[in-house]
Order: sequence, then C-alpha cells, then structure tokens
Amino acid sequence: MCFLCLFVAMCAAVSQRTLIVVGLFLLAILFGCNSGARPALDGQARVIRVVSLAPNLTEIVFAVGAGDKLVGRTSYCDYPPEAKAVAEIGDTLHPSLERIIALKPQVVLISTSSQLEVFTQQLQDHNIAVYVTDPHDLEGVFRSITQVGEILGQKDQADLLVTKLRDRANAVEQAVKGKIPVRVFYQVSGEPLYTAGHDAFVTDLMRRAGITSVTADVPGAWPKYSNESALAAKPDAIILPTGGSMGSANSDVTEALRQSPAVLQGRVYKINDDYLTRPGPRAIDGLEAMARALHPDAFK
Amino acid sequence: MNRVTLRKTLISCALLGGALILAIISMSLLGSERLPARESLCALASLGTSACGLTSDQFDILFQIRLPRILLAAAVGGSLATASAGYQAMLRNPLAEPYLLGISNGAAVGTMIALVFFGAIEWVRPLLAFSGALAATFAVYRLARGRAGATPERLILAGVIVTTFLSSVIVFVTTLMDATRIRSFTFWLLGDLSGTSKALLPVAITIAIVGALALTLHARSLNLLMLGERDAFDLGVEVGRVRVVVFLVASLLVGSSVAASGSVGYVGLVVPHLARLSLGSDNRISIPAAALGGALFVIVADTVARTIIAPRELPVGAITALIGAPLFIYLLKRV
Repeated sequence: MCFLCLFVAMCAAVSQRTLIVVGLFLLAILFGCNSGARPALDGQARVIRVVSLAPNLTEIVFAVGAGDKLVGRTSYCDYPPEAKAVAEIGDTLHPSLERIIALKPQVVLISTSSQLEVFTQQLQDHNIAVYVTDPHDLEGVFRSITQVGEILGQKDQADLLVTKLRDRANAVEQAVKGKIPVRVFYQVSGEPLYTAGHDAFVTDLMRRAGITSVTADVPGAWPKYSNESALAAKPDAIILPTGGSMGSANSDVTEALRQSPAVLQGRVYKINDDYLTRPGPRAIDGLEAMARALHPDAFK
Repeated sequence: MNRVTLRKTLISCALLGGALILAIISMSLLGSERLPARESLCALASLGTSACGLTSDQFDILFQIRLPRILLAAAVGGSLATASAGYQAMLRNPLAEPYLLGISNGAAVGTMIALVFFGAIEWVRPLLAFSGALAATFAVYRLARGRAGATPERLILAGVIVTTFLSSVIVFVTTLMDATRIRSFTFWLLGDLSGTSKALLPVAITIAIVGALALTLHARSLNLLMLGERDAFDLGVEVGRVRVVVFLVASLLVGSSVAASGSVGYVGLVVPHLARLSLGSDNRISIPAAALGGALFVIVADTVARTIIAPRELPVGAITALIGAPLFIYLLKRV
C-alpha cells in the first residue's frame, strides 16, 4: 500500500499535481510505511520525561504505571482520562517539533515510522531518542508494552500487565475453541469501502476471537476494498468499529452489503473503535467484545 | 451546418457512440469478481429484466454495483471532456482544463462545504460544487483579462493562482476535519468512483447529456470566437451571451462530476486534444466527439483502477494521470 502510494505520489509530483501529493502523503501516513520496532535508546540514564505521539502508546504509558512521566501527548490521546491533563503537542499527523523540544523529553514514542521519518530524524538531531513501534498482531502489542515498560523503568509492572492480558486472551481463545468460526466482514469505513487486511492487528484479534475475516488474506493493513468482492464474500456477520473516537461515523453498513446474510440475519455488531484500532492494553477488551458478540453461547 | 460537416459529425459520433456502448458492455464483464460472460451478456441484453441464469448475487454485482459505476464513469468523463472543450474554445487556449484552471478545486471546496455542513443532504453537494466551479471560473476569467486582453500565458498564470489558493483552502479544511474522515476524503480528492450514492447517478447523466448538447448547439459561435472576441462580435456573435452560457454550462458539468467523483484529472486535457487532432478543430465535430471520447476514456481508466490490484482498488484519478500525462507529453511533442 505504502510503496504504491509513494510511487503514485512521485508520479503525481512529476505531473505537478500538488493536491495528489498532499493527499497521498496523508494516505501514506494513515496506512503507514512500517519498518517495525526500532528502539533508538542507547544506555541512557533513567527516563523521567516522555512524549507520546499516538493514543495507543499513551494508553500503554499509563497502563505500565508511568503516567506521571508523560509530559506531552497528541490531541487524539484521550484515554485514560488523566491523559487529558498532559500538554498537547498537536495531532498524530502534525506534531509540533518546537513544542516537543520545549518539553525536553528524553524519549519520544512514535507509532509508525511512516511519513514521520523526517520528523523522527529531526528529533534525533536534537538528541531526543525515539521508540518506533507498529504491531501487526497481539504478540506485537505485548512486545510494545514490555519495551515501553523497560524504557520507562517499569519492567516489573509491564511484565505483570502482559501476563494478565495474556491470561485474558487465552481465556477467550479457550472459550471459543471448537466453535465454528464465523465469517465476518470488518468494515473500516463504508463510503468508500475500507477493510482490515492481512497486516492489520485486528485481523489477528479476530482469528483469536473465533472469527474468520473474509479479507484476512488481502495484502496491506487497511486496503480499499471492491464493493462487488464484499458482496460476493457473503459474510455471516459484519463488525462496525464505531462509537468511540469515531463518534457516530461508520455506524451504517455499506450499500453493497445491505442484502448480505449478515444484515438479513441481524448479525451486525458495533464495537468500540478505540478497542479495535489502538494496539494497546484495551485491545483485549476488543478481543473479548468481539468473541462475546459473535459466540454468545461460549460465555454463558 | 453544411452537408459535409453534418456527415462528418454524424459518422464520427456514430463510431464513437458504438465504441462507447461496446465499452460499457465489455467492461461490465470485468471486475474483481468473475461473472459468467454468456449469462451476463444475456442479462445485459434484457436490460436487467431477465437474470439469464445468473445467481442473485451475480445479478446484484452486475446491475447494482458494476453497471452504475460504469455509467457514472461515462457521465464524469463525458462532462469533464465537454466542459474542457468548451473552455478551450471560449478562452482560445488548448491548455484550458478544469483541473489546471482551478475550477475543479472550486467545485471540490464547494463539495467539502456541503459535506461538512450539510453532510446528510445529498443534493446540496452538486449544487455547491456548481457554485464553487462557477466562482472559480469567473475568478480565473477576471484575473486573466489584463489591459492587453487575455493572453494564453496570463490565463494559465491566473489558473495557477486560483488552483494554489483553493488547494490551501482544501488543506486547511481537511486539517480541521476529524481524522476518521480524512482517509475517505483523500481518496475522493484524487478522483474515486466507488463511493457515490445511486441518487446522484441520474443527475450526473442528465447534466452530462444536456451539457454536451448545449455546448454543441453553441459550437458555431465558438468556432467564430476562436478568431478572437472582436472578430466574432463583428461577425454577429453575441459574445457576452455565449460567454455566460459556456461558463455556466461548463461549471455545471465540472460541478456535477466533482460532486460525484472528486477531481479526476487529465481527462479534459487529453480527450479534446485527441478529438481535434483526429477530426479537426471544428467545434461542431470536436465537442460531441470529446463528450463521447471522455466517457470512453474514464470507463477504461476506472476498469483498470478497480481490477488491476483486485480485490483492492486504486482511485481512478491516479490512472487517468498515469495514462494522461505521458500521452499529453507525446501530443505536445507531435504538434
């Protein structure tokens, strides 16, 4: 997805279509050119000042008990409620370098390296270490938690948290074991139609929740999907991530799926998008919510 | 219209019209899902009255998803090419194209305002897009008219100013929008035919046809205007009235296509050029030919966009630019 975007962006740049370039860069930021975990913190002293550039990382910082060390967050970081008391440094797409430098953090936590690569370099030029993460599955989320815990000197608490979360995940997997997997279409947005592809961490969550995502093998994390392929897939259920940060957006099934078995049988499930789009501790809430919605008899 | 011109117009329109119908049928057979060709053709021939052995899902794919999208592509392509042919004749500049002149951006700003403030009311979108396109058209036209008249260079410069100004307005508004909407919006800005509601399809098709007819009826005046506004006036053309009609109709065409599909670029640059190169610069022939050719071009480009990485999709604007830019360079070198 990303390389395609960049390729087209380059072509567009050649043809001087500024708008396309801007658009594709936004797109590339949203979907992320991932280079995986890349901790760049080398033997620094105890970290006491940290800035988070993503909601899931802010949640992780608080969950490992290091909330008091957070000195900056994005405008999208709204959980836990205490996070809102921390200074804002812009949104995830447009963080303010000046404000971050003024906060004197020792580490900046970044969710994907994507188009923030230039930004990441600028931070490093100012001797600010960066930790970049982009989990594609639940194990990746656990790894982020452990690593953020280590960076912030909260290794024990992070390990404890991961153990607890892992137990909850195992309990869900145990409960749905032996159940016939439900074929689900995961609708990221209806118009135009986006879904979760192979690289999305929610695809791994669905698999663990006893769900077969009909788009699990589509390359990329958040592909734009063909309406007719969605219709032809005949999903037995539809998951709509909505109601959290999304507000009322994405609360309607896309037109192509209005006659699908899922809609006809009333099997459309709205699940808080913050659980499913933020690879942080609350991903387990998303896992439990999906499993309970799709396999209610397994949790009696 | 003399007999030779009439014959040439009819023959070229018949050929292009035939190619268009052929494209609509053949491109309906292509898509991310494979449909049985014979049954699909039979169902298409029956105009959807008979399923011809297609399953109900296959029937829905063909008639609810694929065909409406192809017809929308035709309306958008036809509208953009017709509008451009009109602008090019009126402004005596072969580079006059909605995208380059900032008129598409004007329509985009109008559509954005409609989405942000009147999101639920669909018919507001083409209305505000039309208003935006019209405002941008007059801004460009006023800016381009210097003391020495509107030179081609001045026109393009005026277009650049309007385009960049409106681009920054668009960037500003997208920044204010919440993140969940930006993604669908960036796709839309590139030109995307997948997300349009069916309510707008008949509107877009009607405007495309009416617009193409209206401009073709003014083709003789436009031919004379290509000699220069003063000469045209001396030859009896009501310059002021024709200008208002052409700008209104062209803005309506651009507005409806942008409201339906975002900014699909290069159609207006490539198609009228090809029409003039192959059929001559008589607007009575080149305007209807551009309308049909534009429809053909966007149908093919969108079929590539929706099949090349299926079941994923590309925005059609990326394909028209990828085909259009090299083709345009080739045309420029040849002339």
